[in-house]
Amino acid sequence: MNPFDWIVLIVTLLCTILYGLYKSRTTHNLDGYFLSNRSMPWGLVLLSIMGTQASAITFISAPGQAYTDGMRFVQYYFGLPIAMIVICISFVPIFSRLRVYTAYEYLENRFDGKTRTLTSFLFLLSRGLSTGISVFAPSIILSSLLGWNIYWTNILLGGLLIIYTMSGGAKAVAYTQQLQLAIIFVGMFLAAYMVVNMLPENVGFFDALHVSGKLGKLNVITSGMEKADGGGYRFNWSDQYNIWSGIIGGFFLALSYFGTDQSQVGRYLTAKSVTQSRMGLLMNGLVKVPMQFLILLIGTLVFTFYQFNKAPILFNQSQVSKIENSPLKDSFYLARDAYDSLSVQKQSAVIAFSAALDSGNEFQKASTAEYLQTLQKKSDSLRAKVKGWINSKQVGGDGNDTNYIFLSFVVDYLPQGLVGLLIAIIFLASWGSIAAAINSLASSSMIDFHKRFTRKKETGEDQYKLSKWYTLVWGIFCIVVAMFTYNIGNSLIEAVNVLGSLFYGVILGVFLVAFFFKNIKNGSAVFWAALLGECIVLLVFALAKFKVIALGFLWLNPIGAFAVIGFALLLNAILKRKRAIGEINTI
Amino acid sequence: MEKNDHKSPFFKSWNSWYVLVIAVLALLILFFYLFTKQFS
Repeated sequence: MNPFDWIVLIVTLLCTILYGLYKSRTTHNLDGYFLSNRSMPWGLVLLSIMGTQASAITFISAPGQAYTDGMRFVQYYFGLPIAMIVICISFVPIFSRLRVYTAYEYLENRFDGKTRTLTSFLFLLSRGLSTGISVFAPSIILSSLLGWNIYWTNILLGGLLIIYTMSGGAKAVAYTQQLQLAIIFVGMFLAAYMVVNMLPENVGFFDALHVSGKLGKLNVITSGMEKADGGGYRFNWSDQYNIWSGIIGGFFLALSYFGTDQSQVGRYLTAKSVTQSRMGLLMNGLVKVPMQFLILLIGTLVFTFYQFNKAPILFNQSQVSKIENSPLKDSFYLARDAYDSLSVQKQSAVIAFSAALDSGNEFQKASTAEYLQTLQKKSDSLRAKVKGWINSKQVGGDGNDTNYIFLSFVVDYLPQGLVGLLIAIIFLASWGSIAAAINSLASSSMIDFHKRFTRKKETGEDQYKLSKWYTLVWGIFCIVVAMFTYNIGNSLIEAVNVLGSLFYGVILGVFLVAFFFKNIKNGSAVFWAALLGECIVLLVFALAKFKVIALGFLWLNPIGAFAVIGFALLLNAILKRKRAIGEINTI
Repeated sequence: MEKNDHKSPFFKSWNSWYVLVIAVLALLILFFYLFTKQFS
C-alpha cells in the first residue's frame, strides 16, 4: 500500500471510532447499555441487523465464491425472507410483551431455568468461537496480501472496536454500523464500476455477463438434480447450494439466527415498538437477497476481467511460496507455464467471442463459446491439480484461495486511494458484526448467568459497569480464539456457517417447541430433548465429514430442530405418563 | 421495544406486508431463473 492508501485507511477507521465514541452517551443501566433504552427507529434497526450479519467474510469470500463456483451461493439466502415473516408473527410480539433482554430469558418463563442455561450456553459457545473466526478470517488474508504481522492484525481488527463497543454498548454499535454500511456500499459500488471500466473498450457490462455466463459463473438457480448411474435424475443431498437447500435449509438457519441468536435478537429488541422491530426485519427480508446477488455479481465481473488479463494460477502467494520450496516445485512450474499459455489463448478466444456477440452471428457465437469453454475446462483442471498438490502431505498447505481472489484484484489493479478504502471496508465490515456479537455475548453473560447466579446486591450503575467488563472480556476471548485459528477449511464464510449449523438447529428446536407446542410444559423433557438433539446433529455431521453419508451442512439445521421437537414430544409423553402412574399409586 | 404499538405502516394489516415480502422473493427467483437461462 502506498502512503495515500494508508491515509485513507487510517482516517476512515479513526472517524468510525470517534463517531462510535460520540454516540456512546447512554443511561447507566442495563436498559441503556444493552437495548439503547428501546428507542431505535426501524431504519437504524434494519442497518444494525444488516451490519451484524454482513461481516468482512461476506465482502471478501462472496466475490471469490462467485469467481470459483459461480453465483449459486445466493440461493443460500432464499429462506431468509420467509424466516423474517415467521419471526415477525411469532417471536417479536412475545419478546416485546415479556420485555426480555435476551431471547433465552423467555425460555425460563416458558419451561425452566436449566433449559434457559443450556440454550444460552450453546449460544455463548457457538457465537464466541465463530466471532473468533470472524476476527481471524480477514486478518489472515490482509496479513498474507499486505505482509502484515498476523498477531498485530488480529489485535487491530478485533481490538479497536472494543473501544466504542465497551464505551457505548448497543447504541454505539448501531450508530457505527450505520456509518460503516454507508462506506461499505460506496466502496463496493466503486469497485464494481472500476472492474467494468477496466474491461477492453468494446466490451460492455452485458458482454461481460455473457462471457462469465458461458463459462458457468451465472448459475444463480440450480436444482440440485444430477444424472443417476442407472439413467434419469436424482437429488444430490451433498450439494451445498441449490434452490431447495436454500429455501428449506436456509429458512431454518435464518429462523434460528434471527429468532434465537442474541447477536440478532439484541438488535431488534432495541426498536422503540413492535412496529419498528417488524419493519426492520421485513425490510431486511426485502433487501438481503438482491444485496447478496450484487456482491456475487462483482465476483463474476472480476472473473470476466481475468479472462482479458493474466490471472495467477493461485491467488494466495504464501501457498505458492510453500509449493516452490517443496519437492513438487518442478511439477508446479510446468503446470504454471501451461496455465499461462492457456491464459494467452483464452484472451484471444474471449476477444473472438465478444466480436461474435457484437456481430450477432449465431454460428460464430456458438463455436467461439465452445472453444472458450474447452480452454476454461483445461485451466480449471490445472488449477485443481495445483490445489491438490498444495493440499498434499508433501507441501502441507491450504490450496483453497477463494478468500484471496477479490482482495488480490483490489491490491493489484485498483487505483491509489481506492485500495485503502477497500481495506478499510474489510475492517469496518468486521467491526460491525464483531461489535454486535461482543455486545450480545456480554448481554447473555450478564443477564442469563451473572444476574441469576450472583448473590451480591447490585445497583443499575454496578451492573452497567460490570457489563462493560464483560464486553472487554469477550472482546479479548475472540482475539485469543483468532490467534489459535488456522486451516479451518474451504471458504471462511462457510466455516462460520458450518459452525453455526452445529448448534442453531437445536436452539431453534427449543424455541419452536416453546412457541408452537403449548401442550409441552415439562422443562426437563425439553432440556433432555435439546441434549439428545445436539448429539444427533454432531453424529450426522461426523458421518458426513467422514463421507459415510452425503449431506450438505445446511440440512443440519432442520435435522437439529426436528430432532428436538421429536424428542420433546416423546419425553413429554413418557414423563406425563410416569407422573399419572405416580399420582394413581399415591391415591 | 418500549411501546406495544402493533400498527402496520402503509398497509391496513401486517398480512399485506408478508404477502409483499413473499411476492418479491418469488419475483426475484423468477428473475434469477431467467437471468441464468439468458446468460448461461
